[in-house]
Parts: sequence; structure tokens; C-alpha cells
Amino acid sequence: MNEQFRGEYPAGVMCRPRPLRACLSIFRIKLLESLQYRLAAFTGAATGVFWALIEITVYIVFFTYAENASVPFISNGLTLPQVISYSWLGQVLFGLQVTAIEGDILEKITNGDVGLELCRPLNLFGQWYARTGASHLSTVLLRGGMTLIAGLLMPEPYRLSAPVSWAGFLCFLCSITSAFLLCTAFGTFASVIRLNIAWGNGPMYIMLLLGSVLSGNYLPLQLWPQALQPFLLVQPFAGYLDIPLRLYLGTMPTSQAFAAIALQLIWTAVFVLAGVLLLKRRLADIVVQGG
Amino acid sequence: MPQTAQRKKMNGFFLYWRYIRLHFLSGLQYKGWFLMVIQVIFVVITDPIGTIFLFSRFGSIGAWSMERILLIYSMAITSFGLSESLARGFDSFPWKMVQNGGFDLILLRPRSTFVQVAASVFHIHRLARVASGLIAIAWCLVRLDVAITPWRLFLLLYALAGGCLLYTGVFVLTSGLSFFTIKGLNWIYILTNASYQVTRCPMEYMPQALRTIFVFLVPVMVVSYYPSSVICGWGEPVWTGLLALPAGFAFLGLSFFMWRVGVRHYKSTGS
Repeated sequence: MNEQFRGEYPAGVMCRPRPLRACLSIFRIKLLESLQYRLAAFTGAATGVFWALIEITVYIVFFTYAENASVPFISNGLTLPQVISYSWLGQVLFGLQVTAIEGDILEKITNGDVGLELCRPLNLFGQWYARTGASHLSTVLLRGGMTLIAGLLMPEPYRLSAPVSWAGFLCFLCSITSAFLLCTAFGTFASVIRLNIAWGNGPMYIMLLLGSVLSGNYLPLQLWPQALQPFLLVQPFAGYLDIPLRLYLGTMPTSQAFAAIALQLIWTAVFVLAGVLLLKRRLADIVVQGG
Repeated sequence: MPQTAQRKKMNGFFLYWRYIRLHFLSGLQYKGWFLMVIQVIFVVITDPIGTIFLFSRFGSIGAWSMERILLIYSMAITSFGLSESLARGFDSFPWKMVQNGGFDLILLRPRSTFVQVAASVFHIHRLARVASGLIAIAWCLVRLDVAITPWRLFLLLYALAGGCLLYTGVFVLTSGLSFFTIKGLNWIYILTNASYQVTRCPMEYMPQALRTIFVFLVPVMVVSYYPSSVICGWGEPVWTGLLALPAGFAFLGLSFFMWRVGVRHYKSTGS
């Protein structure tokens, strides 16, 4: 199909396909479109603030009144202000959680429009990666931005504290960039799994939820049982949230930042590779629903 | 004639159960339907995991042991699950019917909009939340050494019925309000999934503002904490435990009013 069209364009306009540029345009269009839903982001931020406040209340109660509260090292090196900042940043970076696959992609899979996407002379995984990434980024920018402001404006015990140092903050920024690449890779991988419609939502959601729990979104990973700590640090989902936040709070020294970010990128590569291979296999015998 | 006889019988109640039956059967068509059940069980297990780990690290808070908090939490989550199973249509209504104009179809049919919406979706796997919630309640009661007497069992079921009404009210209320805020719907989670998170905080240590909201405005505590307290004898007077059902009814009543206002306001958005 592409061969037929190519001749009709004026010479030089589209002499060869540029997949990267096409994917970048998809990314930009999707991002600009998502950034329009400001009311949705505002209500989302309100939910995030509410959630953070409840969490913080629970942490304050535990850190102040629990029977072991005064035992040294009971919180594995995390102080109450650090845990409170963790709660806030967890909500600010909520957009990096893969809670569902991107809405347009899901709709296309369920109503059969995915067939249309296959007609485009463009790598399907690349398209989906761009879309998924744009929707994550827009959530972080809008909803995250509003939550961040709320967290900074809170009265004293509830406030989000400053990063541990400038170096730590810089590492944090690098680390959330790789967290973004990682969560997009995982979200796209989940979309590929969802492509098998006969199985419904079940397998995909279990995977996504596992990621969410292990990212530290439910409880900072440092407060998990001591025996699990080495495992928790190397599993892929710490890269969503826990690793960047450890750098922000200073519970991970900046000297380890390089290794931590490399780990995030390795897991990104693993998910991209797995997604591309699985998609190739799926497309070999895909059944498109609807028409 | 059998046909007219059947048509006469097809009142709101029968219509509701017929819808539910159809959804139930169509749900079973998916190869992976049991995976959804596993998924919900997974949700129920992982949701309080943060609280469980906090308790195992920090120990009890005064008289508040992990079992106590889990009991209150399970009461809330079971009520939520019951309502989610029976009125699931309202749960997804703002997304599915208001945003794409699907509500037009329902208005055209000469049947109760309430019944049609409530029964428009049913997912088998949502019952998994109820089942695992009930198991958790039983486990907590055993761990707390509370003997099951007929009175306590009655109180438990009574509170769950109240909670189911309350959460149905929440879904109906949010559906009614979604007629006004068509796109910005994330606030709904404050009243649904975030509201039972409050039960993780011991009642005495809860800030006054939170307590007021969740006792008087959205009475989540009335259907979870007070009945648990009366059942286990933590010191709340008996009448507070009996407020669950009236509170649920009152909330549902107000929500129903909001729903009517919303329906009257409805302007189709889709095509």
C-alpha cells in the first residue's frame, strides 16, 4: 500500500519513511491533546491530595504512638518527614504508575480498530510506545504539578520537604526520566498482552497491580520486611518510584545513583524487547474483532 | 397467552435479575474469566498490605492491634464489594454512559432508568471482593476471640446491609453529579476507593475533620467502626452500631434525589 502512494507525493517530500519522526509526532499530538483536560487533572490532583493526607495521618500515628516507635532503626533509616515527603512525591509521580493501559489503545483493541493501525506502514510497538508515553507524561505534568503545589503549601507536619542536596536532586531528575521510559515500556508491554482479547482484562490487571505494589506506591519499600530488602531493590518496579525517591530523600547515596539508573534502563530494555518479540508472535495469528 | 403473562411479570425487579443473569452468562464466555476473580482476590490481598507491614514493623497502637484495624477495614470493603456487585452499572456509569451519550438509549425505553442503569453491568469477579472480605472478617473475629452469637451475627449482616446501601448511594450520587462534570471524574475516587482507606487509621487518633466527614457526611465509619466496636465490645454504646442501616438508607435517599436532579439536567453528549 505504501508503495502505491509513494509515487504520488511530490519528489522529496516523502522519499523514505521516517518511523522515528512519525512516532514523535504521535507523541506530540497525544500530549497536546491530553494536556487539554485540565479539569480532569484538577479532580485527579484533589484525589491525590486527599489520599496523601490519609496516608500521612496513618504514618504519623504509627511513628508517634506505636509500641515499637522508639526502638532504634525500627523504620529502617526512614524518618517521619522523609516518609511524609515520600507520600507526597508518590502522588506527584502518580502518572508514572501503570494503572491501566492507554485508553485509546484499549478501545482500538476491543472494537477492532487495531486492524486500521496495522495498515499503517509503521511499527506498531513504536506507535503504542509513543501514545503510552504521552499519556503518562501529561498526567505527571498536569496532575503531578498541581499535587506538587499542594504538597509544598501544606502546614508544617504535613509538608513536602526539600531534597537532601542539589546533587541528590539532580540524580532524582535523571532517575525520574528513566522511570518514565521504564513505565512506558511496561505499559506498552501490557498493551501487547491485552491484544489477546479472548482472555479479557484479568492477566493484564494482575501484572499492572503487581507493578504498582512493588513500586513502593503502597508503602515505601524500605518499610517492607527486612528479609525482602535485597530483592525489592533489584526487581523492575522499584524503578517506577522507589529508586528516584531514595535519591531525593538521600536514603540512597548519590554514589550509587549511576548503578540505580543503569538498572532502570536495563529493565526498560527488557520490557521493550519482550514487547516487540511478543507482538511479533501475536501479529502472526491475530484475530481482529469488529469491523 | 404466555407472552402477555410474561410481559406482565416483567416489572422492575424481574427486569433487574434478567439483566444480571444475561451479564453473568456472557461474562463466562471469556476464556480468562476466572483470572478476573483471581485478580480481584489479588486486589483485596494487596490493598491492606501496607498496613499489615506497618503493624508488623511498629507493633500495635495502644489497644489497636492489626486484627482490629483489619476487621474495620474488611467491614468497609465487604460493603463496598456488595454494592459494587449489585449496582455495578452506576459504578461505571459516568464513564460509560454520560461521556458517550449511551444514556439516551436508556431514556428511550419505557422502564425505570434506575433499574436499567444498575443492571447495565455485572461482573462475576466483583463477588470475589465480598467473599474475601467475609473470610477476612471471620479471621479477625477468631483472632480477637469473639464468639459468634446470633445477636452478633445479626449485627454483622445488618451493618453489611447498611454499608451496601451506603456505597450504592455513593455510586448513585457520583453518577448524578457526573451529569454536571462530564469529563472531570477523578474526584469520584475520593468517595469510592479512597473512602475505605480511612478505616486504616484508628478512630481515636483520627484528625477531627476526617472523623466528622466520615461519620456525618459519608458515614463510612458508621457502617464499619461502630458495628465492629459493638460486636467486639470495644466500648461504643449499642445504639451506635444500630445506626448503620438508617444511615445507609438516608445516604441512598439523598443520593437518589441528586440522581433525579442530574437526569433532569441531562443533555446528550455523544452521538
